[in-house]
Amino acid sequence: MITKRSLYYWVKTSDLKLQSLLLFIIAISIATRVFPLEMQKRIVNLAIGLGKVDLLFLYCGLYLAAVVVTGGLKFAINILQTKLGQETLARIRKELYDHILTLPLGFFRKASAGMIVSSLVTEVVAAGELVGQAVAVPLNNVLTLVAFAAYMFYLNPILAALSFVIYPFILFSIPAMQRRANEANKARVDATRLISGKIGETISGIHEVHSNAGYRIENRRFGEMVDQLLKIRITWNIYRNAIKVMNNLFQNMGPFVLFIVGGYLAIHGRFDLGALVAFLSAYEKLYDPWKELLEFYQIYQDAKVSYKRLMEYFDIAPEFALEPHERPPHLMTGSIQVKDLYFSPGGGIHLLKQINLDLKPGEHLALVGASGSGKSTLALCIAQLQKYTSGSVKVDGKEVSDLTKRDIAENMGMVAQSPYIFDGTIKENLRYSCEALIEGESGTSESKRELPTLDEMIQVIQQVGLFVDVLRFGLSTMLPSDRDDELAAKIVRIRRRFQDEFGESLAESVEFLDEENYLYHASVATNLCYGTPNQEDFKKERLHDSAYFLDFLESVQLRALLLELGRELAIQFVDVLEHLPPEEILFEQSPIAANEIDEYRDLVPMLEGHAAHQLSEEAQSKLLRLALRFSPGIHTMVALSDDLEKRILAARMLFIQKIQQELPGAFSFYLSSDYIHSQTILSNILYGKPRTDHPNALERINQSIIHLLIEEDLLERIVELGMEFKVGTRGDRLSGGQRQKLAIARTLLKDPPIVILDEATAALDNASQKRIQNLVETQWRARTTVIAVVHRLDIIRGYDKIAVMKAGKILEMGSYDDLIARKGMLYELIHGTKAGLL
Amino acid sequence: MSSSTEPKQGSCEYKDNLEIVMHIPIFVGLPLEPLKVLTYFCKRATFFPGDILVHEQEMDPNAYFIISGTVALTLDSSPENIILEFGEMDFLGALSLFCTRKRLFTLKAKTKATCLILPRDKFQKTLEQFPEIGRQIFEALAKSICRWEARLITEHALGCPECRAAIGPTVV
Repeated sequence: MITKRSLYYWVKTSDLKLQSLLLFIIAISIATRVFPLEMQKRIVNLAIGLGKVDLLFLYCGLYLAAVVVTGGLKFAINILQTKLGQETLARIRKELYDHILTLPLGFFRKASAGMIVSSLVTEVVAAGELVGQAVAVPLNNVLTLVAFAAYMFYLNPILAALSFVIYPFILFSIPAMQRRANEANKARVDATRLISGKIGETISGIHEVHSNAGYRIENRRFGEMVDQLLKIRITWNIYRNAIKVMNNLFQNMGPFVLFIVGGYLAIHGRFDLGALVAFLSAYEKLYDPWKELLEFYQIYQDAKVSYKRLMEYFDIAPEFALEPHERPPHLMTGSIQVKDLYFSPGGGIHLLKQINLDLKPGEHLALVGASGSGKSTLALCIAQLQKYTSGSVKVDGKEVSDLTKRDIAENMGMVAQSPYIFDGTIKENLRYSCEALIEGESGTSESKRELPTLDEMIQVIQQVGLFVDVLRFGLSTMLPSDRDDELAAKIVRIRRRFQDEFGESLAESVEFLDEENYLYHASVATNLCYGTPNQEDFKKERLHDSAYFLDFLESVQLRALLLELGRELAIQFVDVLEHLPPEEILFEQSPIAANEIDEYRDLVPMLEGHAAHQLSEEAQSKLLRLALRFSPGIHTMVALSDDLEKRILAARMLFIQKIQQELPGAFSFYLSSDYIHSQTILSNILYGKPRTDHPNALERINQSIIHLLIEEDLLERIVELGMEFKVGTRGDRLSGGQRQKLAIARTLLKDPPIVILDEATAALDNASQKRIQNLVETQWRARTTVIAVVHRLDIIRGYDKIAVMKAGKILEMGSYDDLIARKGMLYELIHGTKAGLL
Repeated sequence: MSSSTEPKQGSCEYKDNLEIVMHIPIFVGLPLEPLKVLTYFCKRATFFPGDILVHEQEMDPNAYFIISGTVALTLDSSPENIILEFGEMDFLGALSLFCTRKRLFTLKAKTKATCLILPRDKFQKTLEQFPEIGRQIFEALAKSICRWEARLITEHALGCPECRAAIGPTVV
């Protein structure tokens, strides 16, 4: 297990070829480092001393060459070190993450996400970098030290011995201080972890913080922790720096000894000047490797501390084996036997007591009871998501705790109350369970499974009632302009039929594009240009700065009017919006985007008492930008005057003419025979914009469109596009019901012999709930074993067995009719005075 | 259903809406700033006879002010029995602004009806920015519930012993 490995393991298992190459380069570089010292001596003694210019050039040339080579080698050493270190870092991260994912669920109930993130992102860095340096740095520097020392002894043994006298002091005093630094470092790791945990907790509970206006409480708590960390970090850094300062001090004392003794010897002619210069240089050069060694020592100590803390934290064995050993995963029929099952989270509490039940393959069991009665816990124990304390759970006669995760994944599907939807497309989420099984098979000789086909996926989304939603996503897609001309042509055909068949009846819900009429649900820019720009400077975000367009506005006397409109928009909207946080959803009904509010807030005071044309060019550009975005049907805070409307309509005609004459091709003007690539498929079919975003009206429009799509045989193609819809982080672009349906569809697609539903329909409306229940009773009848934790008693009639739970025990179990006839707990729950307590 | 009136010269939908919002009982007396924000978040919608505004058992995150037309309140178990009718100037769904819950009734347009719709999430955002208005709105809401029950007691419960068991929501 990764958590048992020491730091040395990572050195041993790093790329040994690279490590040897590194050693080789180091060996050469040491020679090139000592060489200049010898040159120094010769330059002073031979070249200068004897006055030989040719020798001066030769030695200086050699000196230069040695310095350049040393530099190059040092760079090569750095590159190799970095590569080794970063590779190890990546390796530790991957393996640790792999390990973390398999930790028991109980671990994650206690651990915070923030803590895990900081472990994987920051705490492992020190260890990774250390491995890169582990061989090179100590070896390089020790060898350099030895080489310089040897050279010094070669020059003058007594002097050399004298200059090394201080080192034992350093070696004695530094480790003592480092121990204190280590203590502080340990405390720092713990404090950082606490802070990460706290941040993680606050962010996930931000709703609670906002609704209680608990900003101060949170900030105070956070502040206390930060202050604590501050103290620890200061202590830690003081010790680290003290070590450096002390080291420096000792180092600087060296030349003092040399000058006194060396100077004395030189004056008395017992030591030549060149040797003294070389000696001093050598001594100075000792400093670098020594400093690096010391730094390495500190990094090593810090890394050792954080690595140990890190591994201790995750040092828990997975509860269950992951992969079957030398056998394919079991394929089961789905019989379940539970015998004398107990579960206790510790502390003498029993959440499950003496549970006994027996299900034949294909039988359906509903677990009912008040919250806290243990029904979800029982489901989790059966699904191997909770390790039971004693007793046994057998699937097809095999003990669940002995099965591997793979066995369970092959044979069980689980739908949780609030299922997790991953960031990605609908399709990726649908395929998740199947894909996991396929990836699990890779590298083994088992028969290859296939990913579900489009037809299979469409079938399941139909079954769970997600079809219309996905279709709607598909209709909201924009077709890229460079492909699928055939589809575009078909959509134009549907557009024509839509106009013919529904144009009149939906006229109140849809604003159709019409060359003669003003579009209230489209922007001023769209109303003016009446087409899609093909040239960059006419694109939506740049139009207000286009000189060509501005000239046109001037020529039709619209510029001043639009600036006035922009001014009114800015004043009116800033007045309201400045009170709101800059969140996109709050700015939907405004022409000012959330990230632009500061800009316009600063602009508004300048608008007072100035005519629009007196403003700076920049301010005018901003106002024009707003005016061009203005859609009276959406931005209802400001009205569009009749006069302006007429002028814009008149200008539209002139603009189209002007472009056709001067810049043909710069715009694709709206034509009922052309596909508009800048708009969604829905807008293309409507050839206009819905006048509202209310679901009722959209539903009516959708119904008409579905009708046509079916007739034109395009429905599946659009749904396929809808499957590519990106659901957002945790599926936040989907509703709670859609997420739950998606999770059920995922399980349907996997089609395992056992399905566990943990209040899987809680977030659904009545109609959807009935649909899912119906699915359970038909699709899974007699072929899939179902265990459903149920919160609503009106859906349990179709189950073969019902178990009523209370305080961790099954009080009664039998068929619906039997239990009702017995007039026991279930009868009480449904008819008795306790009805409504569930 | 559609947005009702297209904007025309001289009449600005927002200003009309502001006038309406200022006079909604639970908002009466609020400072102008939050009222403007609330109005900014309101959208107009028109419902045609038979259109369902709110479905029983479904989450509905909106409150409605009826500008014109009539809507009927029913239970799905007996859709023909109209429990109550609402018309011009009525404001429905104030509780939805405070909590998400499943609706207990169905609300259906009886005639063509134009409503001003205030979504819960945006109301909540307003409340976050102007926390002081929460107390005022809540008080007005509680008062209106109390008034309703007082009316039930005097009009029904006194003369009808069976009805007595059904009163008492205001004791919560």
